[in-house]
Amino acid sequence: MSVDSPSQSGLGSPAGNPGDEPLLQVEHVSKRFPQILANDDISFSVARGEIHCLLGENGAGKSTLAEVLYGVQRPDSGTILFRGLPVTLSSPRDAIQLGIGMVHQHFVLVPPFTVLENVIIGTQHQGLRLDRRQAAERLGGLCTNYGVNLDLDAQIWHLCVGEQQWVEILKAVYVGVELLILDEPTASLTPQEVDKLFAIMRKMRDDGLSMLFITHKLNEVLEVSDRVTVLRKGKLVHSVATRDTSQRELARMMVGREVDLNSVREPRTPGLPVLEVDGLRVRDDRNLEALRGVSFTLRQGEILGVAGVSGNGQRELFDALTGARKPFAGLVRLAGREITHSTAAQIADLGVASVPEDRVHQGLVMEFRVDENLILGKQRLSPFANGAFLNQRGIAAFAEDMIREYEIATPSGGQVTRVLSGGNLQKVILARELAREPQCLIVSQPTRGLDVGAMEYVRRRLVAERDRGAGVLLISEDLDELFSLATRIAVMFRGQIVGMLDAETASREQVGLLMAGCESTV
Amino acid sequence: MTTTGQGMPRGAGAGQLTQAKASARGRWRIQARMQPSAAWRSVSILAALLGAFVLSALLIASAHVNVGTALGVMVQGAFGSRGAVIETLVQATPFILTGLAVTVAFRGRIFNIGAEGQFFAGAMAAYWLATVLRGAPQAVMLPAVLLAGCAGGALWGFIPGVLKARYGASEIIVTVMLNFVIALVLSFLLANPWREPTSYFYQTALMPDASYLPRLVSGGRLHLGFPLALVVAALVWVLLWKTTLGYEIRAMGINSLAARYKGISVATTTILVLVISGAIAGLAGVGELTGIHHRLRLDISVGYGFAGIIIALLGQLHPVGVVLAAIFLGALLNGASAMQIVTGVPVALVNAIQGITLLCLLIADVLARYEIRRTAGND
Repeated sequence: MSVDSPSQSGLGSPAGNPGDEPLLQVEHVSKRFPQILANDDISFSVARGEIHCLLGENGAGKSTLAEVLYGVQRPDSGTILFRGLPVTLSSPRDAIQLGIGMVHQHFVLVPPFTVLENVIIGTQHQGLRLDRRQAAERLGGLCTNYGVNLDLDAQIWHLCVGEQQWVEILKAVYVGVELLILDEPTASLTPQEVDKLFAIMRKMRDDGLSMLFITHKLNEVLEVSDRVTVLRKGKLVHSVATRDTSQRELARMMVGREVDLNSVREPRTPGLPVLEVDGLRVRDDRNLEALRGVSFTLRQGEILGVAGVSGNGQRELFDALTGARKPFAGLVRLAGREITHSTAAQIADLGVASVPEDRVHQGLVMEFRVDENLILGKQRLSPFANGAFLNQRGIAAFAEDMIREYEIATPSGGQVTRVLSGGNLQKVILARELAREPQCLIVSQPTRGLDVGAMEYVRRRLVAERDRGAGVLLISEDLDELFSLATRIAVMFRGQIVGMLDAETASREQVGLLMAGCESTV
Repeated sequence: MTTTGQGMPRGAGAGQLTQAKASARGRWRIQARMQPSAAWRSVSILAALLGAFVLSALLIASAHVNVGTALGVMVQGAFGSRGAVIETLVQATPFILTGLAVTVAFRGRIFNIGAEGQFFAGAMAAYWLATVLRGAPQAVMLPAVLLAGCAGGALWGFIPGVLKARYGASEIIVTVMLNFVIALVLSFLLANPWREPTSYFYQTALMPDASYLPRLVSGGRLHLGFPLALVVAALVWVLLWKTTLGYEIRAMGINSLAARYKGISVATTTILVLVISGAIAGLAGVGELTGIHHRLRLDISVGYGFAGIIIALLGQLHPVGVVLAAIFLGALLNGASAMQIVTGVPVALVNAIQGITLLCLLIADVLARYEIRRTAGND
């Protein structure tokens, strides 16, 4: 093993240090799945002590590449060199033995076990007895080193999402990995938790650990990485030192054309109230009070943002407003008419359209054809129905129009919906919901998981609805999205709106603190 | 690197072992097929029949019966003559209807295991109305009896429907229990109030002639129930793919959450599905009652309702598939009883052969959705 120079890297150019070969070299790796070439002749390298970003849209092949490097998938061709030697990764066990760890998007922790137990699971190979004291000492040392404040005896399910992620990272660091793969680690964190994560990542880098950081968020790339490799449609577009690039250039490389995600907010004078919510109280599936008296007014020509970490009542708010869940107290009025206890069908008929957060489960019937999904909920209305019968001609004509207008990538309306990409699924929902020019639009996480191109499209549509005069309630965890689209931002915490801010004057920190429900998170 | 003392012990030696472990061989992997083609499906069905044939042959040989003779008789018995074909269709008639009943329910992901009970409920309602209308002309009697059968089955489907829609009771449990309830009610009625006074058996008297389903051919038992079943198959197809209700049933079946979010009333649709499913199963009961037996007995169904589940699944929950599967099962039954009579193969063996055949088909159906691939090693 080569001798490490303790704090070499920082912003140093990775390949430039003499006598220091890259930690990981990927050479001409290809991986094909039945329908798609997920990785097409990918070559890049990760230097020691480097935070290396793997940037790309959904479906660009980032996750597949990560799985190849972690031994989950085997490449069809190509070579992987670790510490200069070719390696075969047949399973994650191989990867871990070599010194490659991974923090998954969805954590793999044992909830009733303590932090300490989760970290040392599977690490003690000699004998049956756990040497807790020694392990606790070492883990405590790691925590101190990285400035992580964790109760080692706390059970996992008591921890918040950000803390659980630290446990995942500690697990990898504890067994002594040299390369840590982080798969979209910021997806469910508050802004403060993201800052904390980045601070830890920088500290680990300075200690000589290399990280492969997978993301599709441009600002994160610029903030934390030393080097960035951009993938598009399975191919490597460019691998460049982060300081030599810009957000604009990265976006262009990622999407393959110029994109504009901002500049859609413009001051307007909102019109009459569309949706008035007063003291709304709703129970969740476990019969606990999830909305504890929510009040707000949404006006015509306005996008009202709802911020919050997921699980603070946003889902129940969406459900209550669309009629999928019955409130037990409070009042909802649509253009002056009370709809508190109306059914989902009645509310839709009155001109409320909705885009649910979970496209696949709440919004679409995946085994249906595209044209069938385009009329879901309107199947009894003209021109889709003729008495008790479906009007196939009307449905087909509508589908053809929508596929053209919304540029849905499908050969025909007869295509089964399941095979469409995330962006196209969202377009199907948007086409269906916007076709009748709703007076009120309730959308939840409309761009979550979408690639930049689709994201831009969805946002443009929402703004167009606003400009048409519709009131838009935008529930989102993406602060960038809220700040670029919304006029006002309501922040939800534990079932209440804890702040209503003017998007023009509010700061991200303000919103972040309100989201966390207190002055400081960590 | 580790100035802090407890930093990161690097797995220095451990890695080298794995690096040496290079495998040049490919691996066999089982993975799901993206979309199994129709041709592939047909091949899998043929393979299943071949497998069933081989296994059955082994069974027959073990009973010291000439395999060739036995199987020859079986095919003869199923399709070998005009009479055999007619009898196969007679056997298929209740299978088609119960298969369709289950198909409608399963399409909406309502697991109606109660087609057997609905079959009896239909037959009982039909019998009751026929005795009430005794003396009425056939033109009145026949439609009335058929409708009564549908109504009886529908009622026996309505009960689990309401319990599920209102109280969330599992339709599986309720429909299974209702099978027992109706069987015990029928036993009671046959033991006393409805029993033919002069009969030694638990059975009713013969029904009025006007209620008999007309026979379609001379010298065979094929009755109006068979074309009626084909009409119902067509209606089920129209219902599922051409009506708004069918659209809602399928939407609910694939994704009830999305259906609910988009304003489809899951409760109402659930009740309707079970009522329709029950009505079709009830019609199967009338068909057997007024087409074959002409009197109510406990054995007018030999598990037709349960066979409906197998047929619906074999038929891929599609009316055309259901009709084909029902005819196939009818042929199997018919051929097997011929084999039993001619060669003296024990009844148990005949049942085993039927079971083997169905198992092979179901296994093939599952296996056809996967493929085995050789993945290349990466060296």
